[in-house]
Amino acid sequence: MSSTKETVGHIISSSSGMSANLHYSCVSTDETSSKKDSFISQSSGVLRATAFREYMKENNNTSSWSNDSLSDFLDYAENTRIESSDLQNNDSVGCIMPPPEDIGKPNDWQDWADQLITEDDGVTPNWNEILVDSEPKMEFHTGRSSKTSLSVQVKELVPASPGEACTPSSCGSGSQSKPRMRWTPELHEAFVEAVNKLGGSERATPKGVLKLMKVDGLTIYHVKSHLQKYRTARYKPEPSTEGPSDKKPNPLQDSLTLDLKTSSEITEALRLQVEVQKKLHEQLEIQKNLQLRIEEQGKYLQMIFEKQCKFGIDHIRASSSTQEKSDADVTNEISSSPPKTKTEPDGSSPSAEVLEVDPSESQCSKRAKLNE
Amino acid sequence: MKFGKRLKQHVQETLPGWREMYLNYKDLKKLVRLISSSLEIRNSEAEFVYLLNNEIEKFNAFFMEQEEDFIIRHKELQQRIKRANERELLSEGEYEEEMARIRKDIVDFHGEMVLLVNYSNINYTGMAKILKKYDKRTGGLLRLPFIQKVLEQPFFTTELISKLVKECETTIDELFPATVVAEEMNEAAITMVGEGIFRNTVAALMTMKEIRKGSSTQSHFSLPALNLPDTKIIRSCQLNSPIPII
Repeated sequence: MSSTKETVGHIISSSSGMSANLHYSCVSTDETSSKKDSFISQSSGVLRATAFREYMKENNNTSSWSNDSLSDFLDYAENTRIESSDLQNNDSVGCIMPPPEDIGKPNDWQDWADQLITEDDGVTPNWNEILVDSEPKMEFHTGRSSKTSLSVQVKELVPASPGEACTPSSCGSGSQSKPRMRWTPELHEAFVEAVNKLGGSERATPKGVLKLMKVDGLTIYHVKSHLQKYRTARYKPEPSTEGPSDKKPNPLQDSLTLDLKTSSEITEALRLQVEVQKKLHEQLEIQKNLQLRIEEQGKYLQMIFEKQCKFGIDHIRASSSTQEKSDADVTNEISSSPPKTKTEPDGSSPSAEVLEVDPSESQCSKRAKLNE
Repeated sequence: MKFGKRLKQHVQETLPGWREMYLNYKDLKKLVRLISSSLEIRNSEAEFVYLLNNEIEKFNAFFMEQEEDFIIRHKELQQRIKRANERELLSEGEYEEEMARIRKDIVDFHGEMVLLVNYSNINYTGMAKILKKYDKRTGGLLRLPFIQKVLEQPFFTTELISKLVKECETTIDELFPATVVAEEMNEAAITMVGEGIFRNTVAALMTMKEIRKGSSTQSHFSLPALNLPDTKIIRSCQLNSPIPII
């Protein structure tokens, strides 16, 4: 990287994975006009990410960020730049400097920390077994760790990898995901059966239930929390709502109006309530289907546009002698791509689609630039 | 900031335990603005994505927790009905009382489940909007791939809850004898809109209508307006809905 004009002189160190990050730190150090050596600027790029994360964790308890904190966070990240010698020992920031190889994936160490924590609970899940997709009927993932314990423990951990990492594909939601347990009615049936066999919800123990259920990947932790919920549901039936306005010791007599409600009036009110709720649900289903279709269509259109862009770029790059060839290629590509929605474009006339490319042509050129 | 206002309103009107679980739309919007005016867009994208993922985690955790509860309660309600019907020792009065309680509980339960589906939907809508804003302001290409990922998340896959809702409706139909409703009954019923879960579900329906009313950026990617039938129920709901103090 030629950096004669930059305020920071980059002495590129041995880590090969750092080149991408250097670019970031280039930009960030510009703002502060501080002249530090490359190690600092590298670490500052990383520190921004980790410091930011720590900051957000600390402020995430109310899960809403104040006006100030938002404008502060950039300052915060800037201000946590630390001298290299202090990096290892700095506790006030609570950041960990991950080894250079990890910078590309700064989120994985958090997952590893999770796994270490859940293992400390005395549960030893078989990660390989769990992370493989199990039968569709019982879709579950493993252990949950509470956010609070995570933010405390993470500070002390050095991310020496425990071996298995949570693969994004099986976890479903990318690098930030923690495996979770998702109960189904079938699973619950099996649970209830096991509990009944053991003499009821009061007598049954999590361990016993777990053994009886014989479900792969189910942990005692899951059973324990589920049992707790089950017990609550049985001995405190239908808590209705949690609002203070809704404590009704005797629902039939209590009412917010002065009239005494007859039971048939109440029944009618309930009937009305169901109607409204049904309506809401119906609308929600319609809305969801629409949203799904919109995204599907968007995906398809994007694919078409990209093919067009490729066609356009190839067209520009290609010499005139190969022009006819690429024309034919793209035409073939477009007509062979199966349209998933009802709006089927005419595959034989790519020119018609080129006209529509305009709004996303900027996207295509952006893509092209990114790819270069 | 139309959606933002609606979301805020909805959060205020929703069940107390749920208020913290919604999308931090306002703050994310501010962040997008910050990012677009800052110099280091590419660096910030990772952090923005990180925050979004955090939100998704929040939704997933809450949603699955509620889902688990609903599964348990659903089964329990069925058990309760079964027990009430089987116990011959109950006097007529006691039986009627228990059935009335069950009716109330099951209708509220139905409502809560629908509210969860609504929760899922509102957060999805908010996410889609914030991603759109991000792309628009930063020239990024985050929206499309990211939203594909969101579509697969547990909090968005509400099929199970919808199934439970429908099962509930079947049970409700059995519990509520079909009768002709007298006019006075309807009036009395309408006055009870202000209470409990009923209030929440009505509010949610109204909010949905408002959100879909008409976007400034209506395109073929937008949802059509919500047309509620002009029945007495709906009209009275609109009369009863609280006047928002902005």
